[in-house]
Amino acid sequence: MTVKIRFFARFRELLGTDIVTDVAPGTMFTSLIISVAKKNPEGCAAIFDETGAFHEFVILMKNGKRIEIADVAETAVVDGDEIAVFPPVAGG
Amino acid sequence: MIAIQTDDVDIGALIAAAKRQGTGAIVVFDGVVRDDEITEMELEAYVDVAIQELKNIAKDATEQFRLLHVDIIHRIGRLTVGENILIIVVSAGHRPEAYAGSRYILEEIKKGVPIWKKELTKDGGRWVPGEHSHGKPKTV
Repeated sequence: MTVKIRFFARFRELLGTDIVTDVAPGTMFTSLIISVAKKNPEGCAAIFDETGAFHEFVILMKNGKRIEIADVAETAVVDGDEIAVFPPVAGG
Repeated sequence: MIAIQTDDVDIGALIAAAKRQGTGAIVVFDGVVRDDEITEMELEAYVDVAIQELKNIAKDATEQFRLLHVDIIHRIGRLTVGENILIIVVSAGHRPEAYAGSRYILEEIKKGVPIWKKELTKDGGRWVPGEHSHGKPKTV
């Protein structure tokens, strides 16, 4: 199954965006993001702390809806999911 | 008109279109690129999501403040000092609702709409830090 990961702002600069990746059924949300982010240590450090947990300021969306890190960290992604990872917004 | 776009807009035309039956006040907010010793500003958005959130904010503002018309145009791409970034035009029967509705829309955009700004300088660039972190948008 495939999942799309979209990084924005500083995270995009470090990791790219619109990353479509094949994942095995049962792949967990956090491990998926780590596996993509670790391709760039600076990008990984921007999103995760030294324990492998999301930094408090990181915002996550799944299929266009905000999700709490605590609610999804240990849940599996689903075929076709679009996951967005970005820093605090600064529009206006 | 709710839009995220690279092009500028004709604010005068928006004001003219905002005059509806019953309009007694129109408030225009125009956020511009400030000269903070930058060369340009680069704006980025999660466009599909941001558009939907702007529509939701406009709907909420219309209901809460009895607005007669709302325009929100947020620009993206590279902008120079003095260029328009965000234009909000609201029309209401009376000024309290128009001022309050405009302010509400602006603050809600700053709280949660996925848009980012990078200030470009002679020495590189810096992302403008956001005020609100993860999860649901927080109130100030």
